[in-house]
Amino acid sequence: MKIFLLLLLLLSPVSLYAQSGYIEVAAPVNRQLKLAVDSPRSLDLPPDAESARMVSDVIAYDMNMSGVVIAESRSQQPAAKALSLVDIDFVPWLSAGFDLLVRSEYSLKNGRLTIEFRLFDVINRKLITAKRYLGTAKELRRISHSFSDEILRALTGQKGPFTTRIAYVSTQTGNKEIFVMDWDGHNPLPLTKNGSINLNPDFSPDGREIIFTSYKRRNPDLYRRSLSNTVEVATSRRKGLNITGKWSPDGSKIALALSKDGDAEIYTLDKDGGHPTRLTTNPALDLYPSWSPDGTQLAFVSDRLGKPQIFVMNADGSGVRRLTTSGSYNVNPSWSPKGDRIAYSRMTGGEFSIFTVAPDGTSDVQLTFDGSNENPSWSADSRFISFSSKRSSGNGVYVMRADGAGQTKVSHGKGMYYQPVWSAR
Amino acid sequence: MYNLHVFDFSRHFASFYAGQEIFMKKSMVALLAGISMSALIAGGCANKEAVKKEEAVVPPVAVEKAEPATPIEAVEQAPPVEQVKPAQEEVVSSVAPTAGEKSAVAESSFEIVYFDFDKSDLRQDARDVLSKNAETILKSFAGAKIQIEGHCDERGSAEYNLALGEHRAKSVLKYLTTLGVKAENLSAISYGEEKPAVKGSDEGAWAKNRRAEFVIIK
Repeated sequence: MKIFLLLLLLLSPVSLYAQSGYIEVAAPVNRQLKLAVDSPRSLDLPPDAESARMVSDVIAYDMNMSGVVIAESRSQQPAAKALSLVDIDFVPWLSAGFDLLVRSEYSLKNGRLTIEFRLFDVINRKLITAKRYLGTAKELRRISHSFSDEILRALTGQKGPFTTRIAYVSTQTGNKEIFVMDWDGHNPLPLTKNGSINLNPDFSPDGREIIFTSYKRRNPDLYRRSLSNTVEVATSRRKGLNITGKWSPDGSKIALALSKDGDAEIYTLDKDGGHPTRLTTNPALDLYPSWSPDGTQLAFVSDRLGKPQIFVMNADGSGVRRLTTSGSYNVNPSWSPKGDRIAYSRMTGGEFSIFTVAPDGTSDVQLTFDGSNENPSWSADSRFISFSSKRSSGNGVYVMRADGAGQTKVSHGKGMYYQPVWSAR
Repeated sequence: MYNLHVFDFSRHFASFYAGQEIFMKKSMVALLAGISMSALIAGGCANKEAVKKEEAVVPPVAVEKAEPATPIEAVEQAPPVEQVKPAQEEVVSSVAPTAGEKSAVAESSFEIVYFDFDKSDLRQDARDVLSKNAETILKSFAGAKIQIEGHCDERGSAEYNLALGEHRAKSVLKYLTTLGVKAENLSAISYGEEKPAVKGSDEGAWAKNRRAEFVIIK
């Protein structure tokens, strides 16, 4: 026994020290927790190894992107009783250096899927959380993402965004059309097919509808469509520009730029397009509004000082103040759902970089240092930012953590990618 | 102890999750502390039993429903330029709906006007071109509806360039009216950086894309 424990100490790369049971998370001495995601065991015969592997790969991918743990997808495939705490042999996981383990079992009968996941604390041999899902085989990927959400909730108190989607503009059919994909780039689907120029999609707060600008009737007009049918409803076809539409957090209004009264100005409309209320009254070009999460303020772009900078105003147009005070060309504001940061894009020497800044203009931080990066958009939990990038590793939609770490291309396929926007649900 | 949550992904019910929230931030620290302390104890105290007695877990099964994925009806992919069967649309705006398709013919009788980077003001050479164009309009196209298209080069923000392109088109429109062209025969539209005249990423290409073009709308 003594020898075993000594070996354990030598094998596990632990260099922690604890002062009266408290771990200082910021201390460099701490290491990240390691999570093993064992692919699910099938309760039916024959087992589908490919689907099983997909489940653990999806969860490991989500958890690695979160930065909260280091995750590995494994295929231990236990012979029996994968979920029973009493029967699991934690020793091999422990000696491989894992702190956490996901185990699962599934059954697929007549198209009906039942899958149960359990997250274990390997060292203390405890069950942390468990969930059973009922669904169809087609939903297996999304269910795996849902359990990733649950793992994050159990470890940090806040669930993940892994079942949400990103809409974007792509030229893969030759012209700019709107598409939507899972947050990790899977299941891309076209949402427009009009052969025209389609720009700047935005989701409704419930994730069920999008608005976008289209030239399909020979003017940049704002359209709305539900994701569950293909009808495109003209929401604003006013003279001039109807661009950069943004749905309010409570779903009742749309902020956008209209130029019907001269130059581009910020207005709000009812979500059906009526009752335009003008917010900016400056002869400059004002556009690209972004709502604060409580709906009381809007960040926006204005060139009233010569070149485009970002300003903030109250939702009634009062109290305009300048936000960005560094850099000579700042655009694309995106207010985080948590409310404490505003992401934006700054052009220097012809290339764009993404920054975040506090809403009072302090604590300006650069996040991207490679290539040209635009149109940041936050995930619902404010953990991640999606953006479009042109860099050596390829043009596409990228995702990074809110501190700039983990920059990963999520879009696949040919063509150019622009203006990604992340759904809240 | 944690309850086993069962999610029926295919039913339309809200999750009962919120009520089950028992995990607080402190617990994360406690969890990390617990894991690390155990590792330390297991390694350092050779005489003690590091492994606790395992408890049989008998979680009660609570049936919960989760929101299903928003169903998406994707449009079929098709080669570009193909027209979709028009869907029913409500025109909610105050602008009179356009009657059918307007066909736009790029008119080679009119010279193109060029701009400096990020600017919409008219250079002297631009004014000279517009004087010529105004003459042409008044002589040969007095009754025609002419649309002025404003364009930008690919640099800068695409959204800002939509507004800038319109500003260019409108400053051309204003200048033409001072030269005697009737305002009601002129309209302005912006294509931002979306319709470059010339492909390329050098100053030669960019200079040719920062422009205003004239199109006769029948």
